[in-house]
Amino acid sequence: MVKNAFYSTCVIAGCLGIGKFLAAYLGGLPASLYGMLIFTSVLHFQLVNSSKIATTVSWIIQHMGVCFVPAGVGIINHYQLIKDHGFALVTIIFISTFLLLSFVGITYQHLVLNKNNSTR
Amino acid sequence: MAILVNNLDALSIIPTIALILTTIGIYQFFAYLQNKTQLIWLNPMLLSITAIIPLLLSFELPFKQYFQSTQLLNNLLEPAVVALGFPLYQHLNSIKHQWKVLGLLLVLAVILVIVISFALTMLFISIPEIAVSLALKSITTPIGIALTQQLNGDTSITAIAIILAGLFGALLGPSWLSFINVKSAKAQGLAIGAASHALGTATISKISYEHGAYGSLSLIICAVITALISPFLINNLTILFL
Repeated sequence: MVKNAFYSTCVIAGCLGIGKFLAAYLGGLPASLYGMLIFTSVLHFQLVNSSKIATTVSWIIQHMGVCFVPAGVGIINHYQLIKDHGFALVTIIFISTFLLLSFVGITYQHLVLNKNNSTR
Repeated sequence: MAILVNNLDALSIIPTIALILTTIGIYQFFAYLQNKTQLIWLNPMLLSITAIIPLLLSFELPFKQYFQSTQLLNNLLEPAVVALGFPLYQHLNSIKHQWKVLGLLLVLAVILVIVISFALTMLFISIPEIAVSLALKSITTPIGIALTQQLNGDTSITAIAIILAGLFGALLGPSWLSFINVKSAKAQGLAIGAASHALGTATISKISYEHGAYGSLSLIICAVITALISPFLINNLTILFL
């Protein structure tokens, strides 16, 4: 268990390291996203043992929320913005979220699923 | 005075540990509470933020100092993003047969939401930083925050906007989709994963296995697409609106 956690940490750190290198030389994506794509590739091409990594990664994903709390607390500096534009902010988030939900839902259901059913 | 300052430096490790432990403790408490009650709106991230703000205010601790002390947590953002490569790997097989259709649909969806959110924010609030934050609010938090930092948005606004987008989709998404006659589990999962990321997906996973599978597939693909196209798209939108 501890061994697997150590193994996973090393693999993730290694991928992040390569990601930092790529981000510095190629630019474009943040280092962490290069790292994520490399992590996916090494898993896909079975360069690392995915069964040893599964438990640690699901633990990380389950608990990572706490890492974003400090960034969120930064809203404390935006008292004036919230006071002036809070309603507009929430409305824009609400409208764009429902547009996106409807667009993806309707397009997939009517153009992809129904079309497949009718050709069968 | 100089001695006092030096003493404070030596002691600064204690408030650092205290602030990190307090943050983790508060988060764990709310996570436990949500786990017990199973109420979607008792979001541990949102509740922790609303609990910590009055704490900082009552101790007259400036945010800058709190953020510096909890830098360790913020630094874990990068490995957290890397870890998301695992669910992406798990879904590679399931999209093999329909990657063209799904890819095209989700690329269009991502462009749509970025353009609309950015344009609406510029029209009504006209602060470019905030427009960047709202344009990146439909994807999973670690990637949203990483991109916000890269594209000079405001990470705190992104964090809060992402939670709200997640809550809207989680609370109202399934009934809204049924109302507009989108009833298949695949389509509902895909839509909620795209618009409300992990928060929405965790909620609909309880409806059916297919909901959860399509939700997590959609959230991870949308995050990757957003990462790939948002730098180009947002830079051009910024030029257009300035």
